[in-house]
Amino acid sequence: MSASSGALRSSLNIGARRSQRLAQAMQRWPVSVRVAAGVLGVLVVVALLANVIVPLDDTAVDLDRVLDGPSAAHLMGTDEVGRDLFARVLHGFRISLTIAVLAALAAVTVGTLVGVLAGTMGGKVDALVMRVTDVFASQNHFLFGILLLVLFRPALGGAGAVMLAVGLTHWPSLARIVRGELMSLRERPFVSAAIGGGASRWRLARRHYLPHLMPAVGLAFVLTVPHAVFHESAYSFLGLGLPAHEASLGNILADGQRSLLAGGWWIALFPGLAILTAAMTIGTLAEYWREHLHPRWRSELEL
Amino acid sequence: MTSLLEVEDLSVGFRTRRGVVHALSHASVTIRPGELLLVVGESGSGKTVLAHTLLALLPRNVDVSGSVRLGGQELLDLPPAELRRVRGRRMALIPQSPASSLNPVRKLGGQLLEAARARGLREKQARTRLRELLAELGLDLEFIGGRYVHQLSGGMQQRVVNAMALVGEPDIVIADEPTSGLDADLVDATAAQLREISARGASLLVITHDLRLAERLAGRLALLYASRIVEVGPTMSFFAGPAHPYGRELLRALPEREGKSIPGLAPELTALPGHCAFADRCPDRFDRCGESIPDLYPAPDGVLARCFVHAER
Repeated sequence: MSASSGALRSSLNIGARRSQRLAQAMQRWPVSVRVAAGVLGVLVVVALLANVIVPLDDTAVDLDRVLDGPSAAHLMGTDEVGRDLFARVLHGFRISLTIAVLAALAAVTVGTLVGVLAGTMGGKVDALVMRVTDVFASQNHFLFGILLLVLFRPALGGAGAVMLAVGLTHWPSLARIVRGELMSLRERPFVSAAIGGGASRWRLARRHYLPHLMPAVGLAFVLTVPHAVFHESAYSFLGLGLPAHEASLGNILADGQRSLLAGGWWIALFPGLAILTAAMTIGTLAEYWREHLHPRWRSELEL
Repeated sequence: MTSLLEVEDLSVGFRTRRGVVHALSHASVTIRPGELLLVVGESGSGKTVLAHTLLALLPRNVDVSGSVRLGGQELLDLPPAELRRVRGRRMALIPQSPASSLNPVRKLGGQLLEAARARGLREKQARTRLRELLAELGLDLEFIGGRYVHQLSGGMQQRVVNAMALVGEPDIVIADEPTSGLDADLVDATAAQLREISARGASLLVITHDLRLAERLAGRLALLYASRIVEVGPTMSFFAGPAHPYGRELLRALPEREGKSIPGLAPELTALPGHCAFADRCPDRFDRCGESIPDLYPAPDGVLARCFVHAER
């Protein structure tokens, strides 16, 4: 390798380390994406370190300080039984986000498996699987989720039941995408070229199908997370999710709704802001990622 | 000399809603080791179906009869595991349109290595072979490896798929329309590359409708018309004077010759006539042409032609 071609290679960014490439990519991020990534990063760190940051106990009742407004001692004020709202929002955010991530993971797993089953088997299996998918998709998924909660909450507990309810109601759209993607992939010339070159089914799935499916699956996962946060909040708000004393964004909102009439606006405001911020930042990042998924679009966008 | 590939009485029909599409009817050709055979014909004459049948790349709604033997081994009805050992290792395909035959979302290095691994090479061996092979084709593995297919020019893409086909050192390489959509410069370059592949000792089956490419490659030529081989013989005698009226009219249609197109259309493959398929368009037609399908009759210069003109001799 001569010196000049080495220089050419480095200027063309070939063989650069992953971290260097990430650093270079970050320099191209628009302001909105940088802000979203920064805010989400802070939120996640804060949620993970909730216990360290707020030494206050989020379940400690202080009946002398019921419905205090935001102050230096209680940054976000206190709720109707005098619990520190900042501590509750942080813990609630952590629990809600964890449940949402696991629920989205469940939904994406079910959706991918169903889509792969239908897309690779074809024929009667495909028809049957997709009709079942239609049945799931045609239900109001929120009501169906409530049914699942009622059925499984006794056995799985609040958090587990919420994950199950979200996981089993949010897979049909991804299953359809995966199936469609596989159907069109099977007709692509590079697939028959690979078969003609002696590739086995397994190699085909791993090397050719999966790399094409990953962006759709990854994106579906990221987009399902904020949606799952909404669901968790909504179920808990209705009293069907986590037990009322446990902090989750939905539970705090439910408390806040009662306190609004007593003038305690802050109790609904802060968990609401947390939900909004999480959903907006994840949404912004997902949107940017979607535009840059395909190597070809990527290089066109970079010009 | 013994044959490497023997195709005997091969018929391929696609079952469709509009009836059976007879893509290939009773085709027989042989290729000897190191030989170059051109399969020429207009679109829809069955060329690509022939290539895909050899590698068993056909869809499920297809009926195949006849026999395809590679080095004496019957390939039709071969179980999938054994078929994989033939594909790429003994018989390799240079696919039509390199741009869409390479995976657009993976870098080429991984795809090249994988192609080598699929042909049974180990990682290190594969790297060395690929580096040598690409260097012979004027490409650098490191340069190519870090790129996606859309970042290469058409000529480079072609060389990458050529390297993929050659990495398993196959006995026979099938090139499916290697010049479709290429400009004159690249046709020249492709012809040179194909001749080089042939010079390495591999047999070559080139599927093309490009008569200029055919003339440049020489070897032997089989002309297809409406799913049947109508003429087979040395390429040079075909260009000197085809034995079949269809071949003659086809050459006359070339712009640099008379540029005179053949009147009429080829028959529908769902409703092939019970007589010579070219009869309706043939200027030399006589009574017998409308009655039965001619066999391949010997014509001068070692050519076989499916025309009653030669039956008279």
